[in-house]
Amino acid sequence: MEIMVDKTGSGVRSSFNQAATLDRTVRARGIKSRLFRLAVIILTVISTAPLLFILFYIFRQGIHAINWHFLVNIPRPVGETGGGVANAILGTVLLILVASVVAIPLGILVGIYLSQVVTGRLAYWCRLSVDVLQGIPSIVIGILIYEWVVRPMGSFSSFSGSMTLALMMLPSIIKSTEETLKLVPGSLQEASLALGVPYYRTMMKVIVPAGMSGILAGVILSISRVIGETAPLLFTAFGNPYLNSNIFKPISSLPLLIFNYATSAYADWHQLAWGASMVLIVMILVLNLSTKLIQSRWKAQF
Amino acid sequence: MEGAVLNADGFNAYFGSNQILKDIRLEIRKNQVWAIMGPSGCGKTTFIRCINRMHELTPGARVGGSLTLDGEDIYAMNPVMLRRKVGMVFQRPNPFPTMSIYENVIAGYTLNNIRLTRSKKDEVVESSLKRAALWYEVRSALHQKGTFLSGGQQQRLCIARALAMNPEILLLDEPTSALDPMSTAKVEELLHELKTQYTILIVTHNMQQAARVSDKTAFFFLGEMIEQNDTKTIFTNPKNEKTQNYITGHFG
Amino acid sequence: MTHLDQELSKLKAETLKMWALVLKQLHKSRSALVQLDKDLAREVMNGEKRVNAFELKIDRDCEDIFALFTPVAVDLRLLLAVLKINTNLERTGDIADGIAQFVVDLPPNFDQKLLEISRVVEMFDQANLMVSDVMKAFEREDPIRARKTFKKDDLLDEINSLSTSVIADYLRMDVRLPQIEQALFIHSIIRRLERVGDQAKNMAEEIIFYSEANVVKHQHKKAGKDGSA
Repeated sequence: MEIMVDKTGSGVRSSFNQAATLDRTVRARGIKSRLFRLAVIILTVISTAPLLFILFYIFRQGIHAINWHFLVNIPRPVGETGGGVANAILGTVLLILVASVVAIPLGILVGIYLSQVVTGRLAYWCRLSVDVLQGIPSIVIGILIYEWVVRPMGSFSSFSGSMTLALMMLPSIIKSTEETLKLVPGSLQEASLALGVPYYRTMMKVIVPAGMSGILAGVILSISRVIGETAPLLFTAFGNPYLNSNIFKPISSLPLLIFNYATSAYADWHQLAWGASMVLIVMILVLNLSTKLIQSRWKAQF
Repeated sequence: MEGAVLNADGFNAYFGSNQILKDIRLEIRKNQVWAIMGPSGCGKTTFIRCINRMHELTPGARVGGSLTLDGEDIYAMNPVMLRRKVGMVFQRPNPFPTMSIYENVIAGYTLNNIRLTRSKKDEVVESSLKRAALWYEVRSALHQKGTFLSGGQQQRLCIARALAMNPEILLLDEPTSALDPMSTAKVEELLHELKTQYTILIVTHNMQQAARVSDKTAFFFLGEMIEQNDTKTIFTNPKNEKTQNYITGHFG
Repeated sequence: MTHLDQELSKLKAETLKMWALVLKQLHKSRSALVQLDKDLAREVMNGEKRVNAFELKIDRDCEDIFALFTPVAVDLRLLLAVLKINTNLERTGDIADGIAQFVVDLPPNFDQKLLEISRVVEMFDQANLMVSDVMKAFEREDPIRARKTFKKDDLLDEINSLSTSVIADYLRMDVRLPQIEQALFIHSIIRRLERVGDQAKNMAEEIIFYSEANVVKHQHKKAGKDGSA
């Protein structure tokens, strides 16, 4: 009996001790959680800061250069003040336009194929090559296009630049189309097929529209990624100080112009480069923001 | 044989080397409501998917034996044309998310490039939604997206979409398994109303549903059709012991 | 109206039809007794087959509804009530048939005075009234009306309990064989009519059960005594 009482007594005491320990542990955990949360917030701010600094700096430098005159005129020869970047803006738009015409349909079709065929040898190799293509440095793509397009055609051209950009856009369009369409429920496809809708119409009228917001977002993101490409355009689009809308002639683009003018020795041209940088950044910002808008507005509910 | 809308005579279906359906014999007459019930994996969904040839979309699927719609061999028909004659409603409501309620109902026409005049479209939409007992709930919101409706309304919208094509037979694959009891009751009531005009085949693992909505019931087990009879007879006096065990819950 | 509601209202209509038929059987056998009309009595005996057919049909309908709809709550109670009322009606029909059988077997020169002193016709009317009252209560789902029939049973009990001494008095005056036979017939009929009253009360109880979910079986006798005291 005594032993039992003793045991019970110590049991009670030890459970008191346990409660105290438990209390301490809980408090320590609470402190740890708070520290962790603080660390996360600080790191997030730190990683956002460079972007804000960059934007701030470019805007400060570029805002003086920007005016109507800057947007609609071509650069003037050295020694003359003023002049604009109209040739580069037009060139960039044209390059992207032609690249999109090539890359978007092709990328979406391949994306549809990959989203439909999960297994299979062709799909496997296709997926692999898309991944590899994504990893190829842009300068390498540029030199390839130089070999394949510029040399046989005998001159630098806007067209060859567009091909370069198209090749770089392809993987991300394919990937985003594939991933988006994989999220479209298979039941939608069945619903359409069960209504007697042929397969290709089911794809084009039901499945692609259902994933449209994701596909569009992917397309725009891919554009915003290649719009700033410089290196591969050096041997393809080459650059052109005059306005040009012929896709088989050399053409300028904003990154090319920035590259050329920023490395020159004239303060006037430096100023033009800053202004062009700002135009480029604004373009990219608009593209990114419109992606967000499309995703929230056009999102299909399943 | 006369009057049989759907006739299965020694019908078999396979997945690779697996036989899913064995020697199914079933004759569905005009304006009958048939229920196929059975435990999961008994082949009931496969059977219904063979009728509109959705089964063959799965790689490795094969069929054998005879299956006819209005006397015509289903497997000799063009699947696209066949599916326009066979309405199908799925387990989960699947209205087209990019389309409004109105567009969903006539999707069978628009997606197939069948042109209708504006007034004909209105007529099809209204009559289909009325037949699906949804008209009075959605008529003021016809141009909103179908996906804003509740689950039960979405399922009735899918039924309206199928009815709009005036199918020879309406197939329903566990149409209420994703719905709450109230919506289920509404869909069942709808089926009860539809049976005067349509031939309906409903697959369900809920035998109470089979009991409530159908005139005839077939019991499938492990790919075989164990018993078929008037629903009343199946539920009051089944002839086969397996059927008895299934409906009384003494299975296995 | 849901599918189940449709089935239940069909069942109710069917039950009312059977009820009307049984009531007609009772009225006919009363007329046969009063007018000593053996043809009418035979008609009642023929009608019994229809009552039996009705009973089987309603039983089967109930079974189907149970099996197909698994009803609950008020629907379940209606079905249970109909199932029991069905049995009661069939028995009531049997009684009408039995009385008709007596009328057919009655000796030719029946003493009308016996009908008078035994109050059997009065009893018959009261029993028929009870059955038709309960029928109306069922038709209107009116438990108050159903409750009123319990009181009406008192007259049946009274005539029934008096009948032994009344018949004994009758026989004391004239104890010839035909008289004894006739007296026994009447006595039997009274016993049967008493049973009709019981069936009517049972059916009333089912109606109360169905509409109020209240089991009054085996309680109202006590309550009735308390009430009359």
